Amino acid sequence: MENDERKLAIKVGVFIFLGLAIFILGIFTLGGQQKSFVKNIHLGAVFNDVSGLKKGNNVWFSGVKVGTISSLHFTGVSQVDVKMDIDENVQAYIHRNAGVRISSDGLIGNKIIVIDGGSPQAPIVQNGDMLQAEKVLSTDDIMKTIQQNSQNLLVITNDFKTISGNMVHGKGMVGALISDPTIALQFRNAVKDLQATTANTARMANELGRFTDKLNSKGGLADNLLTDTSVFHQLKLSVAQLKQTTANTKALTDNLNRASSKLNSSDNVLGVLLNDQQQATQIKSTLNYLNQSTIKLNDDLEAAQHNFLLKGFFKKRAKQQEEQKAAVASDKNNPGN
Amino acid sequence: MTTGNNALPELQTKTESSFKRWLTGIFISLYKVYQFISRFFREVFFPPYEFKEVLKQCYEVGVRSLLLISLTGFIVGVIFTKQSRPSLSEFGATSWLPSLVSIAILRALAPLVTALIAAGKVGSSIGAELGSMRVTEQIDAMEVSGTKPFKFLVCTRVIATSLTVPVLAMYTGFVALIGGYLNVSQNEGTSYTTYMEQVFEPLVFVDFWSSLAKSILFGFTIGIVGCYQGYNSSKGTEGVGKAANAAVVTAMFLVFIEEVIIVQIFGWFR
Repeated sequence: MENDERKLAIKVGVFIFLGLAIFILGIFTLGGQQKSFVKNIHLGAVFNDVSGLKKGNNVWFSGVKVGTISSLHFTGVSQVDVKMDIDENVQAYIHRNAGVRISSDGLIGNKIIVIDGGSPQAPIVQNGDMLQAEKVLSTDDIMKTIQQNSQNLLVITNDFKTISGNMVHGKGMVGALISDPTIALQFRNAVKDLQATTANTARMANELGRFTDKLNSKGGLADNLLTDTSVFHQLKLSVAQLKQTTANTKALTDNLNRASSKLNSSDNVLGVLLNDQQQATQIKSTLNYLNQSTIKLNDDLEAAQHNFLLKGFFKKRAKQQEEQKAAVASDKNNPGN
Repeated sequence: MTTGNNALPELQTKTESSFKRWLTGIFISLYKVYQFISRFFREVFFPPYEFKEVLKQCYEVGVRSLLLISLTGFIVGVIFTKQSRPSLSEFGATSWLPSLVSIAILRALAPLVTALIAAGKVGSSIGAELGSMRVTEQIDAMEVSGTKPFKFLVCTRVIATSLTVPVLAMYTGFVALIGGYLNVSQNEGTSYTTYMEQVFEPLVFVDFWSSLAKSILFGFTIGIVGCYQGYNSSKGTEGVGKAANAAVVTAMFLVFIEEVIIVQIFGWFR
């Protein structure tokens, strides 16, 4: 009887022990997974919109779960202050300039907070620090962008439709190219011409190659120019002389310019002669007077020649002139004398 | 003989009186239940303590139900996983099966299924046993002999059910998760480690405490209802059957009511 009771007690004991063991194992597994039995530090961040984040949601750092959301409460005007319990072992890897953003652990998964960024130069976070919240695109924003893209796509496809329709109906340059056989023929000819031009260009390039070879050949002008220092020196000297000549020419040209400008002005004799109409008229009339005076003087002189006072003189001179002419004529006839 | 004019008020009067009797009967029953429960709490904390009887009842209620409960839990795990897959696969979210199974089993199914099985097996057993003892006047004989029948028969059984149903619920939950794992592993090729990681991912401590609290309350309800029906049975052998039947039906009904209430209460703590 006693033995049966003992067996009964053992069976019941084992039964209850195993049941409790399952329960405790579950509690510890859950606690271990949620980092409930490790030392935590508390960090915070203020968001404008938490997108349905709840207490108990996970906190990820570099893709690893490092803590959970401990509380959310409103602050400021309409912002939300989110407190996080972070595993103390991870503290050394999170820097004060790290940012936090709200993300999701899948396409339709739970909301999470992701800690990212942070440079090693910044100090390590301390218990109670506030991290900088980063604004990310919400699902609504993404949907708006997608909607806009769809509208743009619709416009583009409509344009394409119009263009392809025109092409099919032979409208426009491309359409004509596709449907008009004449243009196709012309295009073919143009391609042929282009081929010929290309061949010519190739030939010309060859010629140019040969020409440059000649230029580079020993003793040529180019080679001398490039290699012979005496030629270069002479060339330099010639250029200097040319330069000097140019300078002289310039000076000459300047003088000529100045002279011509003076000729254009009426403050000198030549200028007056060339430019002053009134003076020219006066000079012309003076010359007329002079001409008339000369004629009259000739007449007077003619008359004077016949005067008895001067008649002997003129006769004497005429006689001398005739003698000179005769002497010249005899010299021509007898060149040996 | 009553005339046509008098028939309607007479019928009205009869209906009113029967409704009053029904309502009075309900309140009297509730008061008896209240008295029964109060008596349990008055006697359970004071000696003499019937440890051996408690142990025996724990064996009867717990160990002997373990195989049935484990099998049921395993089947529930497999079937629930299998039936949930098509809905999730429509979204391409079959990787969420472990999370779904764990939430469903640990938050609701494990305590509920355990309680229903226990109500059917243990509740009817207690009701029938105590009912037969009542109709065969064994309980009266115990009172005459100086043994406290309430403490010996009722307190021990209620303690046993309150202790073992939570333990059975833990077994059920564990075995159901194993069943779910076998199904997920077979179809998705998920490893045990990944499966267990995903099982505990959506859970919080409140889920464990709420399941524990529910199981204790369900166990207490099954025990107290079975004992009440059996302890207060009458009308001979017919009363034994009625007591057993009433114990099962009432316990199951109350378990569902309690489930709704507790879910609401623990919802405030989430």
